[in-house]
Amino acid sequence: MMSRRLLPTLDLNFLGTALVIASIGCMLIYSATYFGDPSLNIFRKQLLWMAIGLVLMAIFIAVDYHVLFDIAPILYGIGMVLLTYLLAYGKVKAHVKSWIQLPGGFQFQPSEFMKIFTALMLAKFFDSNERAYLNFRSFLVAMAIIGGPVLLIVMQPDFGTAATFAPLFGVAMFFGGIRWRYWVAALVIVAIALPIGWHLLHGYQKERIMIFLDRERDPLGSGYQVTQAKIAIGSGGIHGKGFKNGTQAKLEFLPARHTDFIFAVLGEEWGFIGVVIVLGLYLFFIVQSLTVAKHARDRGGTFLVISLICFFIFHILINVSMQIGVLPTTGIPLPLISYGGSSTMMFMMAVGLILNVDMRRFVNA
Amino acid sequence: MRVYRDDQKFLNFRINVLLWANVIVFVFLAGSFWFVQGLQADKYRSLSEANALREIVMPAKRGLILDRNGKILADTQPSYSLSIDRVLLKTLVKNDANHKAKLFTFIGQILGMPLPEVQTRFDKGVVAGGMQPIPMAEDLSIEQVAMIQAQSISFPEINVDPVQRRNYPYASMASHIMGFIGEAGEKDLATRKDLKLGDLIGKRGVELMYDNYLRGKDGAQYWEYDSRGRRLGEYRPSRKEPVAGDNVYLTIDFELQRRAEQYFIENEFVGAAVALDPRNGEVLALVSSPAFNPNVFSKRFTPEIYRNIASNPFKIELNRVIQGLYSPGSVFKTVMAAAGLDAGAIGAGTSFDCGGSGTFFGRRFRCWQKNGHGAVNVERALKVSCDIFFYNTGGRLGVDKIAEYAKELSFGNITQIDLDGEKAGIVPSTDWAAKKQHRKWYPSETISVAIGQGPLIVTPLQVAVMMAAIANGGTVFRPHVVRTIEHVANDGSVSRLKVASQALRTLKMKPEVLEHVRNGLWKVVNEEGGTGGNARVSGLDISGKTGTVQVIAQSGWFSTAGLPFMQRDHAWFASYAKKDNPEMVVVVFVEHAGAHGGTDSAPLAKMLYEARFQDQVTNARLNLADPETLEQLKEGRLPQPGVAPKEPAQNDSGLGH
Repeated sequence: MMSRRLLPTLDLNFLGTALVIASIGCMLIYSATYFGDPSLNIFRKQLLWMAIGLVLMAIFIAVDYHVLFDIAPILYGIGMVLLTYLLAYGKVKAHVKSWIQLPGGFQFQPSEFMKIFTALMLAKFFDSNERAYLNFRSFLVAMAIIGGPVLLIVMQPDFGTAATFAPLFGVAMFFGGIRWRYWVAALVIVAIALPIGWHLLHGYQKERIMIFLDRERDPLGSGYQVTQAKIAIGSGGIHGKGFKNGTQAKLEFLPARHTDFIFAVLGEEWGFIGVVIVLGLYLFFIVQSLTVAKHARDRGGTFLVISLICFFIFHILINVSMQIGVLPTTGIPLPLISYGGSSTMMFMMAVGLILNVDMRRFVNA
Repeated sequence: MRVYRDDQKFLNFRINVLLWANVIVFVFLAGSFWFVQGLQADKYRSLSEANALREIVMPAKRGLILDRNGKILADTQPSYSLSIDRVLLKTLVKNDANHKAKLFTFIGQILGMPLPEVQTRFDKGVVAGGMQPIPMAEDLSIEQVAMIQAQSISFPEINVDPVQRRNYPYASMASHIMGFIGEAGEKDLATRKDLKLGDLIGKRGVELMYDNYLRGKDGAQYWEYDSRGRRLGEYRPSRKEPVAGDNVYLTIDFELQRRAEQYFIENEFVGAAVALDPRNGEVLALVSSPAFNPNVFSKRFTPEIYRNIASNPFKIELNRVIQGLYSPGSVFKTVMAAAGLDAGAIGAGTSFDCGGSGTFFGRRFRCWQKNGHGAVNVERALKVSCDIFFYNTGGRLGVDKIAEYAKELSFGNITQIDLDGEKAGIVPSTDWAAKKQHRKWYPSETISVAIGQGPLIVTPLQVAVMMAAIANGGTVFRPHVVRTIEHVANDGSVSRLKVASQALRTLKMKPEVLEHVRNGLWKVVNEEGGTGGNARVSGLDISGKTGTVQVIAQSGWFSTAGLPFMQRDHAWFASYAKKDNPEMVVVVFVEHAGAHGGTDSAPLAKMLYEARFQDQVTNARLNLADPETLEQLKEGRLPQPGVAPKEPAQNDSGLGH
């Protein structure tokens, strides 16, 4: 599978950046939960997810991505079956049916893994499509590859996760290349779809968007999360309150402190300095990935890396922006930092795949 | 038209677009965080503290008030007060709608108070707002504290807080100097940001004037609560230790003060007495009788207490030394003598013949001595307090010249003592008549002013400051009651701030003028026939001036001693000692004494001088013929003049007080 000659070409800078970010994530999860969860269950579980994620990452480094392109339709097919199964037999949890129960009390979100499979499928499609601009037929094919799982996830109905597929549409249209008339067509479709979509939204989802538009609307209700996150971040000041000293997180004023709002814990405990360091690490990570994309051996590798890094960018920007109310509150985790089994594994696999493309950039490898 | 671009170039361009777009967005995000964490950090920090921390005030210990020798006149004693934690109450009421009614019944039982009053107090505290507990009662007995603690599981919202209560161990002693404290009123709270509801602040006297030093700075503990309202423990990093108030040392001498008050109490006199050091303006004793008990004010101040005080016929809240306005009577002859001599209206040898009465500006004026004093010069006029002499002097000076000198000698304006509510009095002049009375000044009125009657009114303190200036050679000092302010830091280090003596002005009188006045004042006490013989103490050259002030218009010569209280004469005695080395001025004023100043006021002055110059008196009476005494003197075992004895002298009972 992987020849020994390849190992020295592993980009340790890139891997190191990812692991530093993940370590910071573990520290923050510890700090956010040690007080309310003295048995450290959450922290230990995250370490387990990290371990499993590292194994998955190793697999996705070792297996040549061309091989993965070959089996992509199978993986994509399995994902679609699981999503369909959820719609038929899944249990409703927090308004949505997005979890599959595993023996031993574990559960996972097929939609997270579907992101990887869809990215593979899309990259495989562009690998065989050499044109700079998509024609109408290939545009429809690309949209169908992405639209399939999105439709199933919307039916769960998990709009948050469905929205995380948006970067794939962007990749397909921006990097795949479409003519201006398709852009217009796409905009028209969005303009028509928006009011219909709004009508279909659940009450709590509408509310989240309304809070974003008018932040003072309900300071003690749904706006509570953003308010508390801003208090946490602002009170951290320049230097922060110190590791484990964030009262907002420790005393549980900050909701979802180890998941969606973990960045607020960073802001509170590590201050502006910590925020800048983590944002800097992410930016470094993104810049390196885009360099990998440029230097990839083939079009498929380029598209695979772009698709994966766009997932990262999308998650980072949405999550970080909502911490201080720049964007509305959504359940979108922070890559490699937020607690969560499926998302942690997904992002570790993505890191593995980017390294995979990077290692195999030389034609004679 | 179809254009195919080089595929790789095409992709690289777009990747670069994505890259730079990212850089821009990341910079924007970092900027947003800077806005929240850098610029608005303070706002969010306080919001964060408001979330998690609840402040519990640690009251600062109020500073002591001590006499000049360190005897404690006011301290603070621990007591207990009852308050209700409003946050806890809210959650309890949420769980049990009847809880509030139960709580009020319980509190009513403990305090022995009807329910409506409990409700009123509660409402008053709630309105005040904030997160602070609602104050309900003070000065709980130990039994009450025990009863509350027994029920602490049913009523966890009731706090029993140890508080520090102001205590004046000698009750009414020096009460007019020290004043009292009370809860900050709405006006105080509105004007001073550092105060909060329930804070005790000085309301009168030294407690008020030196409140900034005495009060100290309250500290605070912060208790951490989680989002479910559970109390977790104290958050030490935020703790602010209270800073104890500074100790204020008065210029007052406890012994002198005690004796002076005793005198008024034993004789049931209403009046005032003040003793000050003419060398620096330090007030050694200040008595206004009757006095009040400031301990009453340390408790919750109720309207009833105030009404009791305000309705007292003898105006106990009035500090007569600085607020009592009286005619100076013959005491003013001291000013007249100095003014006449200095202005050249009279000379040391100028003599007037006193036949018991005389006619000035068409009106007949009497001398207090029906049979007349015969020929009198200025020194003898002071000694026998001859009215006729000063009528003549006044007539020669005119009222405006008199007013000029009176004002120089501290009358007609506040003395600027460090006590509140001082009155200025009135020094009449033609200008005053025109501006304040809108009338013409009649020359015959000048004749009344010349013997300290008429519209002229003064405070006893002004008389004392005048006497001090005469005694010390012409320096008008600002009188003050605080000597030193002592700051004890939290680490135990002590720093002291001495209140400097302040000379307000120096009289431009010729030295021989003051010399003649002082000779006259000495003769008042020490020569046979002087009006102040009652103050004479051998060994101390006490000088002074008596004064009797008529309260009702008299048409003849008679004593008012048998008249109803409010119609009797006032008695003055203004004095200093010793003649050539003045160290203390004593002014005594007895309202409606009915007797001559020399009878009722001079004995107190004598007593105070004896106490003050105890050792000199002792020395004067030492039998130097006794070899044993001589031996003791040589070894320095007997107190030296001017040095206070190390122990209270045991043998002072023989000195006649």
